[in-house]
Formats: sequence, structure tokens, C-alpha cells
Amino acid sequence: MKLTEFIKDKGMLLLLHIVCMYVLFVYLRLTDYNTSNIALILVFWLVLLAAWLLVTYRQRKKYFREMEQILEKTDRRYLLGELLPDSFRLEDRLYKEMIHRSNKSVIERIRQLEEEQEDYKEYIESWVHEIKAPITGISLVCENRRHVPAVFDDFKTISLENKKIENYVDMALYYARSKEVYKDYMIQKTSLKEVVCEVLDKNRLLLIQNRVQADISCKDMVYTDKKWIAFILNQLILNSVKYKKESPVFYIRTRRAEHGVFLTVEDNGTGIRPEELSRIFEKGFTGTNGRKEERSTGMGLYLCRRLCDKMGIGIYAESEYGRGTKMIVEFPVSNYISRD
Amino acid sequence: MHIFIIEDEPLIRRELKILLENAMYQVTAADSFENISEQIKTNLPDLVLMDVNLPGISGFDICTQIRELTDIPVIFLTGRTDSMDELNGILKGGDDYITKPYQAPVLLARIAAVLKRTMAHNPKEATVFTKNGVTLDIPKCSLFYRQAKAELTKNEMKILHLLFLHEGEFVSRMELVEYLWENHIFIDDNTLSVHVTNIRKKLNSIGVSDFIETKRGMGYCI
Repeated sequence: MKLTEFIKDKGMLLLLHIVCMYVLFVYLRLTDYNTSNIALILVFWLVLLAAWLLVTYRQRKKYFREMEQILEKTDRRYLLGELLPDSFRLEDRLYKEMIHRSNKSVIERIRQLEEEQEDYKEYIESWVHEIKAPITGISLVCENRRHVPAVFDDFKTISLENKKIENYVDMALYYARSKEVYKDYMIQKTSLKEVVCEVLDKNRLLLIQNRVQADISCKDMVYTDKKWIAFILNQLILNSVKYKKESPVFYIRTRRAEHGVFLTVEDNGTGIRPEELSRIFEKGFTGTNGRKEERSTGMGLYLCRRLCDKMGIGIYAESEYGRGTKMIVEFPVSNYISRD
Repeated sequence: MHIFIIEDEPLIRRELKILLENAMYQVTAADSFENISEQIKTNLPDLVLMDVNLPGISGFDICTQIRELTDIPVIFLTGRTDSMDELNGILKGGDDYITKPYQAPVLLARIAAVLKRTMAHNPKEATVFTKNGVTLDIPKCSLFYRQAKAELTKNEMKILHLLFLHEGEFVSRMELVEYLWENHIFIDDNTLSVHVTNIRKKLNSIGVSDFIETKRGMGYCI
């Protein structure tokens, strides 16, 4: 609040004073009052007015500065109504009351939305668990008929499609949970080799059908949640299959460095254009590859990054366009938990 | 080996039964979920496969009931993936916890692992195979013919193992590749051909020829 702004704001009041001064001046002139006395009265009036304005300005300025400080200090600014400084002015009190009421309704609305969101999340979770029963049913039916020659190929196709459904369902579940990773996080000493084999095994049919060879050398152990790592690795491997070229080979390796363990998934696929490399982890980003090849949702890597961030794991990509992609997952090791 | 299935979804129950019967287990599936502990008492299975969400009762509670009776191993099967649930399952006395949708080979392997852990006597798998004088010795990772010996790589041994297991039948290339993947050897079709060629060379070097028969579109046979 600047002084000029304040004066401008008080324009009507000033105008009233000027009119009054003028009327008084004209009246006193008509009654033949002494001109110098008139001047004295008016000067006195002006000085009083100026003093009054100045004091009011100082008060108001202090009041609003206080309010601004409150706004800056609090992280929930919609609670201003509760925090407003007391004031003797009627207007201030009225405003305070109104802001208070308006904030109350905002808070109620937020609570309502939070509840709805929680409801929805719970529904998604229970839905995911429900749908896993039929997915399991389908996969068992396919498994039991994989050696029957007449229907062998059909069941293989169904099985592959079923796997896709399973992955999409998993993505929905992990997305719903990604906000509150800590609620479902069990840190264990995890053999990365075990996780890698589990994920490759899970996608066996798809990988064999795509004539993939995988070369794994994962000796290292990390402390992490197996389930989440398996999910992330699954996305990386599915991506490598999606963007493969002739005779695909995946190199999956771990390496122990001073500050952590690195898990790399390297393929000899189409690679990522350098100008797109920095954006692949963005939500909904489908690069040139994604639009050209198969349907891409732009969610896989976004979810990976999001989960990694929540778990304190690093994830990066390196790629040479046309030559292949290398995804790197870094598990930091802090000194006091790395006892072996 | 007798496995008792407690699963409320009829399709999964049926298919699970087929899967386990194909894997040479004797299977009983519960049709009703009342008096489960009575049913188990009368059947006396070697292992119980149990769904966690059952109509009217939780698998965890049934497990507690079973534990009061016997030490029969229990494996939980569930669609829920929470860590808390898993912990609960183990705390209630479960021996393993497998989440749906499970991979059939993984399921079978984990059942076998639990049985192996809990059974005092388990039948040993054959580790030495012989056909027409050619012997595959798995612990030694070698092939023998008369006095000659050829050492095998892990991949070559796995390929021969499957062929010996299906002696006299044709094993398709696809089946071979899938079997190798199940054993964590992640190779493709072309590499399989290379391995088979190498095995033939080794067989020749110890004086065996035409041991592995190839038929286009059918696969390999010994």
C-alpha cells in the first residue's frame, strides 16, 4: 500500500473537505470576515486533515502488513479467516466475519473432495483385487491347454492379451497407491537377480514370441520393496519389447558403486530421439516412437519415476537414437545400513 | 502327495485342480466353506492351498483353525497385494503367500518347495539318464559313451535333460525355449539351434552320431 494509492482511495473524503472549506470561505467572505483569519482557519483545517490522514495511513499499512506476514507464514492460506488480526474498525470486523464464512465453506468442500477421492481410491483398489480373480482364471485355463495341439495357438494369443490386461490393471493399482507409498512398503534384503528372473519369467511368452534374448548378470543385493521394484522393472522390460528392432537382446546388469547399487536395463532397440530424452518421464508423453509403434499411454515411465521418487531411488535414461536405450535405476546405499 | 484346495471361484478351483493333477498331485477341492477344519481332518492332505477372501470367512481365520489341529503346510493365494496382508498371512501360520494372477510354473515350484521343506522323505528326482549307451549325468554335468566323456555347459545340459525326460517323443523348439526360460536361461530360437549343433559336435567327439533326431516343424527327439 503506497501513500499515493491511499490518497487516491480517500478522494471522495478529500473532495468533501474541499467543498466544505469552499463553502466556509464563501460564507465568511460574505460576512466580511478578516481574510488573514480565514486563511489561518483553512491552514489549521488542512494541517489537521493531513495529520489525520497520515495517522490513518500508518495504521492501515501496519494492519495489512501484518496480514501479509500471516499469509506468508502459513502453508494453508485458506485459513486466513481464522488468523486475521483483531481490529476496532467495523468494516474490518465485517470482512473478517465474511472471510471466515467463505473459508469455512472452502474447507468443507476440500474435505468433501478428499473423502470422495479416498472413496474412489479404495474402490479402485478393491476393483483391482476383484478383477485379478478372472485374470487368474483365464491364465489357468490357457496354461492347462497349452499342450493341446488344436487350440494351442489360440490359447497362446489369449494368454498374451491376458498379460496385457494384467499389466494395465497393475498400473492402475500402483497409480492409485503412488501417493501413499509408505502405507504399503516392506523393505527387505532383495536379490535383484530374483526380481529380474521373476519379471522375465512372467513375460516369458511375450519375450519368446518376440525372439528376445536376455543376458543377465545381477549379483547385487539391495534393501528395498520387492513388489515395487518388480513393477518398475516390468515397465522397463515391456518398453524394451515394444521398441525393439531385429534380433533383440536385453542386457540386465547390476553394479555396486561407492554410493549405491545400479541396475541397468539395456536394449538394442530403436532408441529415443535426443530432443525427446528429457521428456520421457512426463505424464502422458508419447514420443515419436510411441505414436509410430504400438499404442502408448505415456503412463509407464511416468509411474516409474513417480514411484522411484517416493522410494528415494533414482531413475535415468541414456539413449542413442537407432542404437538402443539404457535405463538406469540407482539404489542409494547410506553408510549406516550397508553392513554387508 | 495330496493337496487340498480352498477356493471360492468355481473356474479357478476347476482349473487349479486340473493343473495340479497334471503335475501328478492328488487333489481334493472343498465345495463348501463350512467346517473346513472337519474336512481337512477327514482328508488329511499334505498341503493346503487357500484363497484369502472366502464368502463369510477369511482364509486367515481358517488357517488359525487348521493350526490348532495340525502342522499341515498352508499356502495362501490371494488377489490382494498389500504388504500388511502378506505379513498377516505369514503371522497366521502360512508357509507361503502367492499373489494372483500367478504363473503356473511359479506356483508349482513354490508348492514343491514348501512340500520339500516340510516332508521328511521326498522322492529324489532322477539325476542320471541312459539311452542307447549314452549317459547324461546331471550332477557331473557330462555325457558318457563307453569310456569317453564330454563336458556340457549349463544350457546344453538343460536341453538334453528335457529331451531325456521326453524320451522317444518329439519336443518342439518352442517347448524347449520355454523350458529354458523357466530355468532362467533367456535365449531365443536361433541360439537354441546353435546349442543343439554344439551338442551334436560333442556327441560326435565321443563317438555317437545321429543321437538327436530332427524333424521339420516337429522339433527334436532322442
